Amino acid sequence: MRNRASNTLSKGKIRQSWSKYNLYNMSRFRSPATMNRTFFQQKWSAKAVSRAYHGEQVREGQWKRMFSRRIKSVIPMNTVDLAADDGSLVSAGRGSGLTKEEKSRYPTRQTPYTNMTFAPLERRLDVAIFRAMFASSARQARQFVIHGAVTVNGQKMRHPSYLLNPGDLFQVEPDRVMFATGTPKNKFERRESRLAQKPAEEAEAETEKAEAEEPEELKSPKETLKALMARAKSVMSNDKDTLPAKRKQELRGFQKAVRRVLSRSGSESSNILTQSLEVQFSHLTELLKAKRETKSPKQDKKQDNKAAKPETDDSLAFEADEPAASDKLSAAFEQVTLGKDVDVSELSNEEFDTLKRALTQMRDNPIDNTKPYATPWQPRDYMSAFAFIPRYLEVNQNICAAVYLRHPVARPGSAEVPTPFGESIATPAYGWYLRRRW
Amino acid sequence: MPPRVQTGRVSNTLLPYLTSTSSTTSSLPSSSSQCLRQFSATTASQTKLRRQMFEWLSTAGAGLKNHVPGETNYLSRLKQGGPDDSNRPFPNNPNFVSESILSEDLREEIYKRVVTKKQSLRAVSVELGIDMKRIAAVVRLVELEKRQRSQGKPLALPYARAVHEMVPVTPLADRGERQTYHESINDLPAHPLTGSQIFYPVPESRSFNRVEAGRVFSGAPAMTNEEAAEIQHPYDLAQKVIEDPKSIGWIGKGEKARQILQPADARIPHPHMIGLERDRLAHPNERLTVQRRHSDRLARQEALEQEARQRAQEHREASQKTVSPADSRFDYRIQDTKFTKETTGANGRAPWAVGRRYGVPHEDRTRGTVKIPTRVDA
Repeated sequence: MRNRASNTLSKGKIRQSWSKYNLYNMSRFRSPATMNRTFFQQKWSAKAVSRAYHGEQVREGQWKRMFSRRIKSVIPMNTVDLAADDGSLVSAGRGSGLTKEEKSRYPTRQTPYTNMTFAPLERRLDVAIFRAMFASSARQARQFVIHGAVTVNGQKMRHPSYLLNPGDLFQVEPDRVMFATGTPKNKFERRESRLAQKPAEEAEAETEKAEAEEPEELKSPKETLKALMARAKSVMSNDKDTLPAKRKQELRGFQKAVRRVLSRSGSESSNILTQSLEVQFSHLTELLKAKRETKSPKQDKKQDNKAAKPETDDSLAFEADEPAASDKLSAAFEQVTLGKDVDVSELSNEEFDTLKRALTQMRDNPIDNTKPYATPWQPRDYMSAFAFIPRYLEVNQNICAAVYLRHPVARPGSAEVPTPFGESIATPAYGWYLRRRW
Repeated sequence: MPPRVQTGRVSNTLLPYLTSTSSTTSSLPSSSSQCLRQFSATTASQTKLRRQMFEWLSTAGAGLKNHVPGETNYLSRLKQGGPDDSNRPFPNNPNFVSESILSEDLREEIYKRVVTKKQSLRAVSVELGIDMKRIAAVVRLVELEKRQRSQGKPLALPYARAVHEMVPVTPLADRGERQTYHESINDLPAHPLTGSQIFYPVPESRSFNRVEAGRVFSGAPAMTNEEAAEIQHPYDLAQKVIEDPKSIGWIGKGEKARQILQPADARIPHPHMIGLERDRLAHPNERLTVQRRHSDRLARQEALEQEARQRAQEHREASQKTVSPADSRFDYRIQDTKFTKETTGANGRAPWAVGRRYGVPHEDRTRGTVKIPTRVDA
């Protein structure tokens, strides 16, 4: 199927996509005019606008067959109210002057039924993958399905139009998800990965030359550290005005730590990071446990001293230390990355935590040129503006799997079908698809 | 021959790629506006729109590029800037709310309670305020995750961390604190029968409650006085349905037969909570007794449900024989055919009947039928 779902600026259609073009279109979207237009025209334009978002990959006839005028809705019940009366109070005394003008205890909110017009499309596998945030657009989700990267209940499913049943578990290959949601490589990184691939190809051809130093040199941890620092620097210099201050701080700390390691480990023979990271990590955690037990009574004093220390959560910030407090920490970091044992007695608990977190992140989010996305992984730009997970899905992001719990429902005040359009478009669009036109 | 002036246009097509790699956004659009020489009479309308877009992205939209951990970063933030709008991803649709997801700790806690402590789904659901279906799904997903971790399969850990930073999260309460409820657990599905408006006159001397309203909606005759006297409160009927689900009466014949619409008390996921509230109302000073009666009721309901599940399983096993040959990739599930008029048609060759019939093409060979599977068995 040809992809007609381009994000053109001239048409300004809203699509199921995380692209920045789409974001801009969404920001400047205005509901189609209703003044001086016939009812038919209003319904037509409402339908056209909403179909550009909801299942534009589905043919119109196909969607018409899926459309159902019955809309699923629920009412949250209060068991205290149910226990208090059996409903006869509501029906008793009508018309006999017994009713008082009483405000209801709960504000009655209208149920936005017509916002659920396109609920049947949310059952489709490709749409559900997009809603679970495993793909950056419904089209990409569709491609994942067709290319065989998706399983439903453990079996490979190659039909994007498969309608999920309540309780179905679908799973996408984590690498695809990381590619779809991560920052793309820039041209230097692409070149790096090409170079990394090249020696491997040569090695296949000529087995004698395979033992040359090249691959080791390219993958040498020093290089990767340098590249990392360059990345941090470029991020800092380019996005100075957009980055939040806290993150800037973290990046700066990270740069410093890397520079220190680079300056101290002068010899070429250093075999850091790459081979024994796992071993290092488990070793360090054991040390940490031992230290916890010995130092637990003194903990309070230590924490008072280091209370001002910032927390780090960023994926880039391997090491976010304040220069005053953490010479020891950076020394320890260096020791660890060099593959040596660490002298733990000099570090405080918090420094230990920082070290551990840094190593965890290094292990979970390594630099790997073979990946199709920029490493270490970072969320792609403008992803957060589209980040939400509807309640009819239960998602486990670690394994990129999700369960389709039930069909989406409307409830007083909210509808579960994610749609960028309000009542003024949803209602005429619903009217368009009713067989009996109104 | 004049030089071909295509440079401006070429750089325009490159723009999205250049800007998407977190390099400069502000300097490039200005270069696109500098393509001075226009030979064509029709100006490219794209250029202006693109310039506006990049302007917007570098000014108003700049904050949307990166997220701040623990906060949502939606477009509606720019529109109104009110605190109420922080969870609405679409500025034009106030009816869609980005609802919170379960945190990692809460997920682990659910798994611990269900698998390690062997608590029932129903009990965990009431304690944590999470839908029973969601609890079952969480247990399934955590189990899958543990299996994949032990097999050394790749995980998307940085991605998971990023998503949990961007989306609102329901945290696990600290020890001793009360857990915040994740969602409403007693959702009553709106029954299609209740959509119609019915004018139904009732004598003032009679009390007309939820049970009778359900009967009116489903077109069932009114209860006799004896039947009505048995039901003090609709919850009594709910208890009866829990004890014996087959006690619900039927209306209509053949294909049109349908069950009488039950009151909300019988149709919500946790009817036992009404019993608890009724006990609290009746015995406000006897907390221990109320608690004991509640746990008894819960245990009774769980036992009944377990029994029903076991019966269904036994029935399934009895009606189906599974043969799995040692050298085969397949399991064969063999069921007896019921050879009746309904299952195979008057002459035994109905299109919906099982087996191959001469002259009747197999279902997946006929035109117009959808070959996409409608379900995948777990």
